[in-house]
Parts: sequence; C-alpha cells; structure tokens
Amino acid sequence: MNVDRRRFIGSAAGMATTGVVADCLWPKHSVSYRRPRSFVAILNAPEYSEKTETLLMEGLRLFRFSLLGKTVLLKPNLVEDLPGPVNTNANIIGAAARCFLRLGATRVMIGEGPGHQRDTELVVEAADLKPHLADRRIEFVDLNRDELAKVRLKANYSGLGDLWLPRTVLDSDFVVSIPKVKTHHWAGVTLSMKNMFGVVPGMKYGWPKNLLHWHGIHESILDICATVPIHFVIADGIAAMEGNGPLQGTARELGRIVLADDPVAADATCARLMGFDPLQVQHLSEGGRFLGNLRADRITMLAERIEAPIRPFAVLPEFHYLLARTVL
Amino acid sequence: MKTNGREANWFWRWKFKLADRAVRFDPDRYGWPWLSGSASWVIPTAFSVIAIKQFTACSRSEISERRIRLGADMLLDRVCLGGGWNSGNSVVYGVPLPAHVESTAIALLALQDEEPTSVIRASLGWLKQRSSTIESAESLAWCILSLFVYQEPVEHLKDRLATLIGDGRDIRNNATLATAILALKCGEMIHPFEVLR
Repeated sequence: MNVDRRRFIGSAAGMATTGVVADCLWPKHSVSYRRPRSFVAILNAPEYSEKTETLLMEGLRLFRFSLLGKTVLLKPNLVEDLPGPVNTNANIIGAAARCFLRLGATRVMIGEGPGHQRDTELVVEAADLKPHLADRRIEFVDLNRDELAKVRLKANYSGLGDLWLPRTVLDSDFVVSIPKVKTHHWAGVTLSMKNMFGVVPGMKYGWPKNLLHWHGIHESILDICATVPIHFVIADGIAAMEGNGPLQGTARELGRIVLADDPVAADATCARLMGFDPLQVQHLSEGGRFLGNLRADRITMLAERIEAPIRPFAVLPEFHYLLARTVL
Repeated sequence: MKTNGREANWFWRWKFKLADRAVRFDPDRYGWPWLSGSASWVIPTAFSVIAIKQFTACSRSEISERRIRLGADMLLDRVCLGGGWNSGNSVVYGVPLPAHVESTAIALLALQDEEPTSVIRASLGWLKQRSSTIESAESLAWCILSLFVYQEPVEHLKDRLATLIGDGRDIRNNATLATAILALKCGEMIHPFEVLR
C-alpha cells in the first residue's frame, strides 16, 4: 500500500513537473494581466431602484481610474426575451452608462451579441433597455452584426487560433463586463468572463456560437478574455439565478452588486458569494494564472466583506463539486 | 448537400444516444450547422431545406429528396412542447425550452409544402398568437413572410411593421431593413421563400 502511494505521489509529481516544464516551453498565453493586487467592492443593494445610480457612483469612486477622453464599452448579459433574472437588469446598465459619462468618458456604448436570439432588438426591448438609450450620448451596438476584424488570439487553450471580432469592441478604450450572476448548466457559473462570449459575432459564428462549445467552453473563455481584456466589472447580483441556469434556473435574491478592476477577482468573489469554491471553476483557476487574481489574499475589499451564504446556490448534480467545503 | 451537423458523425451520434442525455433529440435526424464543425441548428437547417426545395423544384433527385426529408425530420424532431422552435433542442436537462419567433417563422417556411400535421398546425397557431404582440421589426417581418405562405391574414401586421420602421432611417441593421421590405411587399412580388408545389 505504502509502495503504491509512494509510486502514485511520485507519478503525480512527475506529471506536475512535466506540466510546468511544458508550460514554460510552450506557454498557452502570450499576455498576462495579473497585477500584485486587485480591488473589489461588494455593494449591498436589496433591490433595483432609483437609488441604484447613486450607489453605483459611490462604488465607482472607490476605484481610481481616469476615463477622460476615453470610449467606454459596456458589455451586459442580454440573452433572451424570457421572464426572471435572465438578463442584466436595465437599471444597472443605464446607471452604469450615466456614471461613466459623469466620470469623464467621451462616449459610452452598450454592446451585446445575444447567443440564441438573432433578433437583438427583441431582447433589448424585453430587457426594457430602450428608455436608457434615449440619451444621445449612450449608443447601443448589436455586436452580432458589427463590422468585423480577424484577430489572432492571445491565448491558445481552444485551438481556435483566431477569431473575427467586432470593431466596436476592438476600438474601445475601456471594456466593462456587466454580467448577471447565474449558474450555468455547461460552465458551472456565468459571470464577467463567460459574459464575453457575447462579443463573438453571431453573423460569423451563428446563433448560438456553437463552435466555441465544441472547442471547449472554459478554453474559449480563456482565449477570448486574453484577447479582449476586461478593464472593469459590474456584476448584477441583486436578483441572481441558481439551479439550471443560465435560462431555466430559479431566481435567487443575493442583494449585491460586485465591482472590480479585475475579472478573475470579480468572478472569484461572486463565486464565493454563491457558496462555490472558485478554484473548482476551470476557467477561473486557469485564469488566475494570467488574467487576474484568484486568491483572496491578493484581493483588497474596498466596501463590504464577503459573507458566506446561509445556503449555497443550488446547482445541477453534475456541478456539486463546485460547492465550497469552507465557503471563504 | 454534403454539409452535416457534427452530430451526424457516428461517434457523436452514439455519444448523444448513450452517454449525453442532458439534451433531448434524435441524433439520427440531423440538419445543417451555422458553420462546419458544429452541430445542426434550426435556422440554418430551415434555410438549407428551402434552398434545396426551390433549387430542385423541377427535377428532384434521390439524393436531394433524401436530404430534404432528413432536414424536415430534424425540424419536426426539435419542435417545442406546444409548438414552435427554439434555436436547437426543445428540452435541456428535462426542462422544455420556449419557442423563438424567428426560428419558428423560418422553420415553418421550410415546412410549407409538408403535410399539415398537428405539430405544424400547433406551431402556426403559436406564431399567429405571438405575432399580435411583437414590437420588433425583424421578428415581425419574418412572421409576415411565414404566415403569408400559409394564407393567413397579414395586412394588419404589415401596417404595424410599416409604423415600426417608419422611413427606415433608425433601422441600423441592413438585414432587418431588407427583411422588412420583403415582408411589406408580400403579395405584390414573388415571395423569395415560397416553395413551388
């Protein structure tokens, strides 16, 4: 038994060493966005209301970024014209757009390429976003049908090599991912990083963008996030979704908005708030090596502390491994 | 004609039959993908079926007939509970998915010359009902194009579409504008998606 265990540990160590050596010789990513420290602010927000914008502005002021003269792209999660907490709430998107204009942005665009519905207008209408687009300085761009450019991916987990991406995304100075906090029946969770699937144009890759699934969801997320860096995250966790997300799950009141200057730190924080171990989410554990900070000791909390949920988010049986043994 | 959804490959067919039961569909009935290397989906399958039906209207070969049948069977296999089509499967993890307007309208166009089974009638009924509340130009245009070939009244929908698009200046999507114009001209010119019987 001891010999077997020794042999097993020896083999595992050998494989790990081989992995590290292979990673050094043939790295899977050509960029690293990880900084010594990342900043996250958890805001308590029991409901969507007129106060959301004030709360968001106070939260954004905790971060030091200069947006003067910059073009800001807000990337919400608008998926379907379904009831329930499927889409990022329009109040959050509209409030974020107005806040970034107040913070000095020259132009704010809201861009989304829904994955299932070809008719983006139908989704925008159902999400009740139109009233927020009345301000001429806030423009909506259908990323499924934008002008495209072929881009070499800056990571090679999926084997895709390159992707056609929308000009609006590539030309933006500051990309803000605004996900809805949800469980996901293929990826475990859908947060700021998974939300970036929406920048891949349906006009080129179809509805849904099924090629990304065949090349690996986690792998594609890593490649996209390496190529289109997320500069800021505003995660809508006021009304979240648990169970069979991202469309058919059940509503779960979380009462939080999570702001972060690092997508990995943002998603790791959201996962912890959901009662999950972020290390168990493949794209987060790997993303923690080069896209941002995963470890709690490298994340500075600017507002509320992470509180363990009394009851973790419900997951499909296939994802029980996500549940944190000790939540924090 | 030779393009298949990836599930047409024997390996994936058996995987979906035996191991992967998260989605409910018959992998023996496959259609066309959006782009090669991915699975069959409703809209590309429907457009492919329409194209082959139109192109082979005068001389249908055994191969084209077989491919049309396979595509139509795939569409009928993926129909949602209560009628209509989602983008692909109708059930995921045991939960029925809702129908989408565009997928339903385009799938019905592909099935316009098929026997009007209860599935087709239910889908047509769903689309008719849904069309009364649509406030989006693209979906409404597809509704008109589809309902017209089933000889359903569309004049009131055309009026609503004309109001929605106005002079077209605010429609930033050229595909939407083109579809809307085709829908508004329904009955005045050759229907581009009509299949001759």
